[in-house]
Amino acid sequence: MLNRVLDHLEEWLIATFMAAATIIIFLAVLHRYASGVSWLWEFTQKVHVSWAQELCIYLFIWMAKFGAAYGVRTGIHVGVDVVVNHVSEKKRRFMVVFGLLAGAFFTATVALLGGKFVYQIYITGQVSPDLEMPMWIIYLAVPLGSSLMCYRFLQVAWKFHRTGELPKHEVAHVEGIESFEQKGAT
Amino acid sequence: MNGWIIFFLLLALMLTGMPISIALGLTVLTFLFTMTTIPIEIVSQRLFTGLDSFAIMAIPFFILAGNFLITGGVARRMIRFAMALVGHLHGGLAIAGVFACALFAAVSGSSPATVVAIGSILIPAIARAGYPKRFGVGAIGTAGALGILIPPSIVMVIYSVSTNTSVGKLFIAGIIPGILLAVLLMGITWIIAKRNNYPRMQRAGFKEILVSFREAIWGLLLIFIVIGGIYGGLFTPTEAAAMSAVYAFIVAVFVYKDLKLKDVSRVLLESANMSAMLLYIITNAILFSFLLTSENIPQAMAQWIIDQHLATWTFLLACNVILLIAGNFMEPSSIVLLLAPILFPVAMRLGIDPIHFGIVMTINMEVGLLHPPVGLNLYVASSIAKMGLTETTMAFAPWLIVMVAYLLLITYVPFIAMWLPNLLYAK
Repeated sequence: MLNRVLDHLEEWLIATFMAAATIIIFLAVLHRYASGVSWLWEFTQKVHVSWAQELCIYLFIWMAKFGAAYGVRTGIHVGVDVVVNHVSEKKRRFMVVFGLLAGAFFTATVALLGGKFVYQIYITGQVSPDLEMPMWIIYLAVPLGSSLMCYRFLQVAWKFHRTGELPKHEVAHVEGIESFEQKGAT
Repeated sequence: MNGWIIFFLLLALMLTGMPISIALGLTVLTFLFTMTTIPIEIVSQRLFTGLDSFAIMAIPFFILAGNFLITGGVARRMIRFAMALVGHLHGGLAIAGVFACALFAAVSGSSPATVVAIGSILIPAIARAGYPKRFGVGAIGTAGALGILIPPSIVMVIYSVSTNTSVGKLFIAGIIPGILLAVLLMGITWIIAKRNNYPRMQRAGFKEILVSFREAIWGLLLIFIVIGGIYGGLFTPTEAAAMSAVYAFIVAVFVYKDLKLKDVSRVLLESANMSAMLLYIITNAILFSFLLTSENIPQAMAQWIIDQHLATWTFLLACNVILLIAGNFMEPSSIVLLLAPILFPVAMRLGIDPIHFGIVMTINMEVGLLHPPVGLNLYVASSIAKMGLTETTMAFAPWLIVMVAYLLLITYVPFIAMWLPNLLYAK
């Protein structure tokens, strides 16, 4: 139950960050060109979008940290599989579990380092240059995202241990592509 | 000494099959806790500030734009237009496929995406039209590699981020080699088809050319938004990428109406997934190259190579060989992130143009995508065609040989890549 809520929250967050960043940059560019039009000046001068780039970067960083955790669940983080594919089943299982636990270990370490770092920034009270947002809130993406990622690695490892299944990201499958004939266009 | 330990550790970790990003990160951590005096705070700060660059953010935007184009029916209309133009030649359907790949490459920044977009429609169609399956798979699978050479290109963005070169110039420099490669691939397809007397289609009337062009125009216009926008100074490359994502969304949902509004969230999620994976590798690769630089490893390697008194041409040959071997094991973004910081300083010392070097690296990545064991295009093509990997590799062979020859041409005749950027940016 809790897992389902977490899954949805994760998906919803990263899709929203992606959309928001795109719309913000789009509007900022429109605004820049609208500012050059004299009769629009009255409206455009009231809005400042100098913070758009900064916000876009922060949105994408949040998207990247949580998306990386989502990626563990969908199996998109690939490695070099030449060796793994050519060893006995028993060795393969060992290597897969080792890789997953190494992932969990790394992300846990990063979460701790990041958490410590956020605390230090919190004490300095530093704010971002354009948005003047507290930097510690922005940096929070690192410990939060990395903890979630660690959890995902453990989850995948546990599932692999029990069922022997790994999530696999299908490269060739794209939603919404029909074959040529079905659409009737030749 | 330390350099060897770093690389050995990285190699050992990577061979266990763990994600490349994790292998990079663990190497950095191990090194940090055992052998260096860099304060750990600097590293935790890098975890965040590594991505703090507007230029990198072109990558998620280009991925989003590409996914809208694939699901939005842009590829289908480009194929129809390409068929109207060249379908009547020998092997017309496959030649049209290569042509459509080139068109799609001009609006998308990724190779596998190009194969998916064009291949999933055309590979089955080519087989049904009575050509051997291998022929279609080979033509479309290899032509998909045009995706990262013809601008926009995600690999070029990554190269520019890790070497501080201009993305705009790289994009412009990719245009002529891209067109040249497209023509070469169409040529070899035509020769194979003519020799085997493969069927041709009826010549499309002028009306069909016009109608299909009018249908495809919305997708084709995107070429001008990206290249025109960047070169004309209207947008920065990242802004151009964001504009093309919005434009692709509008075309897919409101003009072509192939994508339902309720499916948009799925496209967003899929793009976020892909971008986050790339950005995660980038974060850890930036950490890794920071570690290398602070240990003076690239400088030492550059000095070592200089001391060997390698001629420029032997260095370039060595680069090609190293990159092609790396292409056996990793996907392009990781290779560029790992090897560009090492090879680039040497190339600069030898007086190779940074833009030319970027193009050479990009073409190496293309060839790497096409041969086993880790050719992403190979996987995509074989899974679309439901053909075994070995057979797909055989199918790729004629086109692959042409591409290797072409790689050498571009490597040793810098003029082909550099003419246009030199002309346009000569101020």
